[in-house]
Amino acid sequence: MKLARDEMHVLTGSYALDALAPPEREAVERHLQHCASCAAEVRGLRETATRLALARARRPPARMQQRVLAAAYRTRQLPPAPAASRPPRARLRIRSLAPLRTRLLARLGTHARLWARRPVLALATTSMAAALAVSLGIGMTQLAAQHRPAASVQTVRTSAGGAVTLVTNPPQQDAVLTAARLPSLPDGRVYQVWVIGPAGARSAGFLSGTALVLTGVRAGERVGVTVEPRGGTSQPTTTPIVLVPFPA
Amino acid sequence: MTGRIRIRVIQRIGFLVRAGRGHPEAGGPRIGGMNRPEIRQWQPGSTATEDEDLDLAGLLALVARGNHQAFERVYNSLAGPVYGLVRQVLRDPAQSEEVAQEVLLEVWRTASRFDPAKGSAAAWAMTIAHRRAVDRVRSESASSRREQKVALDREDEDDVAEAVAATLDRQRVRRCLDGLTELQRESIQLAYYGGYTYPQVAQLLGVALGTVKTRIRDGLIRMRDCLGVAW
Repeated sequence: MKLARDEMHVLTGSYALDALAPPEREAVERHLQHCASCAAEVRGLRETATRLALARARRPPARMQQRVLAAAYRTRQLPPAPAASRPPRARLRIRSLAPLRTRLLARLGTHARLWARRPVLALATTSMAAALAVSLGIGMTQLAAQHRPAASVQTVRTSAGGAVTLVTNPPQQDAVLTAARLPSLPDGRVYQVWVIGPAGARSAGFLSGTALVLTGVRAGERVGVTVEPRGGTSQPTTTPIVLVPFPA
Repeated sequence: MTGRIRIRVIQRIGFLVRAGRGHPEAGGPRIGGMNRPEIRQWQPGSTATEDEDLDLAGLLALVARGNHQAFERVYNSLAGPVYGLVRQVLRDPAQSEEVAQEVLLEVWRTASRFDPAKGSAAAWAMTIAHRRAVDRVRSESASSRREQKVALDREDEDDVAEAVAATLDRQRVRRCLDGLTELQRESIQLAYYGGYTYPQVAQLLGVALGTVKTRIRDGLIRMRDCLGVAW
């Protein structure tokens, strides 16, 4: 089904409210793949529709809970969607993170919330870090068992838009960096992550929309992100869009 | 649910005071002659709703790994909104219960597909709920014409208004809806709460298709700005 571009733009509202018949819905979905501004608008309108939904919250029948929870035990879950290709130079040392992850990630939610102003942005960064925490093998009970606020969570906006969140746990030298809503780059450009100290900058890999684990970062150093040609460079060639200090 | 969240917010503020939030250094040595980038620290300004959504996103990551305790908490957060929305669209309590259960099980099943970069956890879940409800309505209306009219304003307050935050939400949404033109408001309510397609809405309101499309979008944009929705 072919629709004029202008017509597509007008349909964002109806799409966000699920008020389209299947052929039109599919046409809009195809269009959204190529139209970043339309996709952003749909996102905002969906959040708006969600507020309409939440305003209708209503106490469900009590028996529903047991049924749903029981059904979950009998239901196999979908695997994650195929991931985008991994950044080649990300230094992942999962094994060394064991002491970090327990303490550091326990405080994730609380800290990141406190620093966040825009909820969607904050949500994206925090939950990505949380998702990574999960992928590193931290369990609910561990999360719940942690009381001491050891980890530091810093969410800092970048000059290019969006924000990064750096989760650290001094004196551990490991950190988790996540990004949310960074603008997409033209072909052939990547976000390269640097650890910057008195001796200069060293590459720590690439941000590809997911979390990056940094190792061997010392107090006083900073974590920066620059836009570089695909494949990366050995030293930064552009101004960092963000710099986050590694706390002592 | 909401009461608990409010308490947690207070605890967090207490924690903030104890922890003494420092500001990251904004300067430091230049790197290879580069200019200093701007660093702006975000200020805490979260509301109960935002906090709730952050919790939800974190919990969904655990649910994706098959964590049943996390799912129970997700259930407790979402069951009310999901059931409320489905019931709003379907009206019939038994059918609403059935569809709400399907939706919540779908949340369990597809938790790994939730992508925080694409929107909030609540939006993800409510989209599933609304689509399911609408699917049910449309597959039904194919065989038998739906007779129920959308009753938008009269609700049984007993089971609808259960939490303070829900009430506040509702008041805000109501106020913002009141700020729309009548055609915008009716179009949005019929489409979202009524589960009608926009051509059906056009028919019900006796206006041109193009008019409804435009009114829905304009009205939603106004709602978004009025509610201060971040996106």
